Amino acid sequence: MIATKEAGLAALVEKYPEVPKSIILKLDLQRRGIAFTEATAEATNDPYYRGPEQTAFSAKDPSRRPLPGPMILRDGTTVISSPVQGQFADPYTIDFVDGRFFVIDRGEIIDEVDFSPRPEFYGKLTSRGVPMESIAWSRPQRLDIYPYRYCHYWDTRDQCKFCAFFTDLKQQKQLAGASYARVVHPEDIYETVREALKEPGRYSQINLTAGTDYSGEVPFEKEVDRYIEVLQAIGRNFKTRRFPSQLIAPAYTKRQVKRLYDETGLSSYCPDIEVWDKELFRWICSGKEKWFGRDYWIQSAIDAVEIFGKGNVYTNFVAGVEFSKPHGFTSIEQALDSNFEACEFFARNGVIYLSLVWVPWKGTGLGGQQQPPLEYYVRLIKGLVEIRRHYGLASDNDDFKHCGNHGDSDLERLN
Amino acid sequence: MSRLPEELVELLNDPASGKVVGSTDEDGTPHLVTKGSLTTLDGETIVFAEGFESTQSNRNLIRSIWFNRKVSINVTRGTTSYQIKGRPHKYLITGRIFRTMIDRARERRGPQADIAGVWVIAPEEVRNESPGYRAGLAAAKRGHFHNHLDVLREPE
Repeated sequence: MIATKEAGLAALVEKYPEVPKSIILKLDLQRRGIAFTEATAEATNDPYYRGPEQTAFSAKDPSRRPLPGPMILRDGTTVISSPVQGQFADPYTIDFVDGRFFVIDRGEIIDEVDFSPRPEFYGKLTSRGVPMESIAWSRPQRLDIYPYRYCHYWDTRDQCKFCAFFTDLKQQKQLAGASYARVVHPEDIYETVREALKEPGRYSQINLTAGTDYSGEVPFEKEVDRYIEVLQAIGRNFKTRRFPSQLIAPAYTKRQVKRLYDETGLSSYCPDIEVWDKELFRWICSGKEKWFGRDYWIQSAIDAVEIFGKGNVYTNFVAGVEFSKPHGFTSIEQALDSNFEACEFFARNGVIYLSLVWVPWKGTGLGGQQQPPLEYYVRLIKGLVEIRRHYGLASDNDDFKHCGNHGDSDLERLN
Repeated sequence: MSRLPEELVELLNDPASGKVVGSTDEDGTPHLVTKGSLTTLDGETIVFAEGFESTQSNRNLIRSIWFNRKVSINVTRGTTSYQIKGRPHKYLITGRIFRTMIDRARERRGPQADIAGVWVIAPEEVRNESPGYRAGLAAAKRGHFHNHLDVLREPE
């Protein structure tokens, strides 16, 4: 497929001295995945680190120890990666030795890491008796809220082919119902945020996303109404009109986006394009193609800049999925050209085109496929950052401390 | 990491001490900033709060942790002064030390005070730069040949 001999972390650190080791390591931790030693599994079960009982990617399982929050590298770079057994062929090992965590690769210590500590609101209940750790999840500096836990693209088997969100991958179905409440009550969200904000310096952003619900007299109207209700509930916690926040959501009409801006304190909007190439978008994101196609998604992001302002509209793409068989690219250069074209186009229009590393989760439509080599990701993030710098864009909403998914925004810290 | 001299630890923990962090930009140009929050919590490493991600000092420190460059710190009170050379070891955005430092910032500067992160510097070299100490060393090494004679003259 990709005629490039794979270069590993050490070789690429040497070949690209202008890219810090920590960011190349992060890309590879996400690409190859991680596995915990027993010592790490036990240490992260300590009350200081202990994670929530369930996440957006896992059913509640009393037999399993909760996973801690995201990893944090020494330079503060956050890494979203889960040690899911049986998923990764060649994962890095995370070991716990003499009170510290280390990334190990084939017996060699690569670097020291830590995990995001357990927030103080975990373990508490809302006034309606709902566990707060089922309402919001914590990253090092970000609170993640998923108000609607069902994706209707699944109803017609039009889910994005890489997606593992709220999904029982073994049974190929959405988890809402037995494992999750499908809809989260806005008052539970209000109370959870209120409690989370009591912890000094713990959060500097709130992120909302959810499964797609295209229902309504006007398509997506019910979903937009729901987000407005939730954002207004969250907003009651703040003394400022706007609060640092991002909504990752489907492409909406300009009127719907304007409602989100005018009726709430939302500060950033992110309709994800997922993959730039027209034919690959149609194939990989058939739900998005139906509601209402690539051109509509692109235009929605561009229109949103008029409302949220330059640099406050993002669109993520799943870097690597463009190589998926049987329709994907077969050369690195093709894929880079496509993504740089997209980044240039969006940047020219004030939109940030942000990469995240594709993990071909088993059970997804593209499960088990081969990822591109690490060098592809290094070249990709370098190119994306150069283009955005040229257009005066920086990804403050999705930077190293807020998200943890984007090597390119990590690299922007010197901008 | 080894234990810092007790006199330096006392100096670091005194809010009245003057504390300066020196870093270099991409071209090697020095950049100095005072850091009132600078202290040691464990007697081995130096920590200080960074107010904003976008400052020149912070960008220099990021460059230093990424590309293994040194930073320099000076701590002075009266005629006692120390220089510490070291490397940024961690940038903390959450956790116990971060919490300690934000709590301290708010005690010092009020409840609206905020910090972006906390730098942890691993010292590699500690120099006593107090004038009296340096004068003693200089005299022992080079004798009196660099003193002005009026300093050596018999008082009238």
